[in-house]
Amino acid sequence: MGINDTSTPYRVLIVDDDSDMVALLSTWLKASGFSVITATSGDEALTRLGMSRPHCVLTDLYMEGMDGMTLLGRIHASNPLMPVIMLSGQAGIPEAMKAMHLGIAAFLTKPVEKETLLANVSRALRLSSDISEARPKFGAGIIYRSTAMAELLEKAELLADSDITVFISGQTGTGKEVLAKAIHEASPRRDKPFIGVNCGAIPEQLLESELFGHERGAFTGALTRHEGLLQAANGGTLFLDEIGDMPLGLQVKLLRVLQDFEVRPVGSTRSVPVNVRVISATHQDLADAVKRGEFREDLYYRLNVVPLHMPSLAERREDIPALLDYFLDRVAQKRNAKKKRFAPEALEYLLAAPWPGNVRQLMNVVELCTTLTKTDIIPLSMAKSALREEPAGIQTLKVAKDAFERNYLIGVLRITNGHVANAARIAGRNRTEFYKLLAQHHLNAAEFRKGGAAEGDEPESSDGDVAEDPADEQRDV
Amino acid sequence: MVQVTVDKDLEDLIPGFLTNRQRDIEKVEALLAKGDFDGIRIIGHSMKGSGGGYGFPFITEIGAGLERAAIARDADIIRNATSQLRHYLAQVEIVYR
Repeated sequence: MGINDTSTPYRVLIVDDDSDMVALLSTWLKASGFSVITATSGDEALTRLGMSRPHCVLTDLYMEGMDGMTLLGRIHASNPLMPVIMLSGQAGIPEAMKAMHLGIAAFLTKPVEKETLLANVSRALRLSSDISEARPKFGAGIIYRSTAMAELLEKAELLADSDITVFISGQTGTGKEVLAKAIHEASPRRDKPFIGVNCGAIPEQLLESELFGHERGAFTGALTRHEGLLQAANGGTLFLDEIGDMPLGLQVKLLRVLQDFEVRPVGSTRSVPVNVRVISATHQDLADAVKRGEFREDLYYRLNVVPLHMPSLAERREDIPALLDYFLDRVAQKRNAKKKRFAPEALEYLLAAPWPGNVRQLMNVVELCTTLTKTDIIPLSMAKSALREEPAGIQTLKVAKDAFERNYLIGVLRITNGHVANAARIAGRNRTEFYKLLAQHHLNAAEFRKGGAAEGDEPESSDGDVAEDPADEQRDV
Repeated sequence: MVQVTVDKDLEDLIPGFLTNRQRDIEKVEALLAKGDFDGIRIIGHSMKGSGGGYGFPFITEIGAGLERAAIARDADIIRNATSQLRHYLAQVEIVYR
């Protein structure tokens, strides 16, 4: 079987109103190393599903109350990729066809043989997720206890293995890029680049060049050929953050890439094949943007194949203590200092806070509190003051300007392959001024030259440059 | 005596499974007396589905027969099927392997 020897057994939910069938299937599965959860009705199955989060469901078709077909629909409404195997004593072709059409993993006829059942369960699990023991735990650095996050990660893990286009929605600061990276790291593309780009932080012309590349002489200042991020991410994953901010003109170009898997650099007559998995994200209501004519409907459907929603911190309050503890620990390690902790009333206050800036805001509050508190215990007054001073995702004008300037500089350096004179010309500055700007932002032009770290193998967002997901500096959401 | 070979993994389950079939006979007879053919159909259907898996293809056959007879509302065939099942349960000898 190859499944029965895993250290963490796969959970199978058996649903049948016949107790003899439940006992039989349970015994077979347990003997093969599976962990089994049972339910004797569709309603009970839905409850168990939320509580036990099985990897596969095995259900009878005809049951008192909710039948297997209705149960299948209810399961797939909340877990679209959950493998469901249906068993029936009356193998009517129309029912089997209907079930297959509804995305069932297998349709088995009773009486079923042990080998047939086990082979089908194994196949369903193999098709839906990687059951290799060697693979690290999905999203290992993500801190959570909440069911909302557990369900999200389970769903994300199931689709990591495929090339399905994923669309992540969620408020600013929830950690959309962290999730995108976790999907990439659990995918067969894990050894290839993960490149993030914030579509809202770069001017249109630069973004076009950044994504699609350009030929030498394509526009004023384009003195060298530039490959573009789509080509740089070849074989890997391209994370398009704030996709809702992408200008309409570029949306058409991106749509063409997603349809044909070919990219045509600016100024080129030749298309280059690319093999890229695209994960996009936004905090906006993209469906609404489509209605307003600000986002192309065809691109929306092309990107929104599997939607994942990052819950806000207010929707996962049970994670707050663990997140606070994690960040307190991280700050202590970073500063090589004793770990501080929040006073009980401060903790209570933080647990009830609205957290409009989500995990990013929480992280900043911990930073602020630990910096300003001299004692080991952070009092309520400090927690209150830190929350007031941390303006929940709204940056000061200076911070926003700095971020834009840095992104801009990175953009022109990429386009010019780190050629300072050309970059300065595009930016409309002389070389001396340009060097000063680079120094201010701790940027080194040499790193953008051919063979430098910026040409594809750079950890694009690790230094907070191109990708600007609010939680991108942390591995934890 | 009818000898049946059953998977050793199922040894703990078999006494309960066979007791449930004895109960099925009583239930079918009671349902027949009330003319509840749909209830008999459900029992037959269930027996058909589980018998073979436990290693008793004969129980699956009897279940299928009961299901068909209940749909046809044929009391004679139902009586005959319960009689055959009672006889089988009295005769069956299990070998676990």
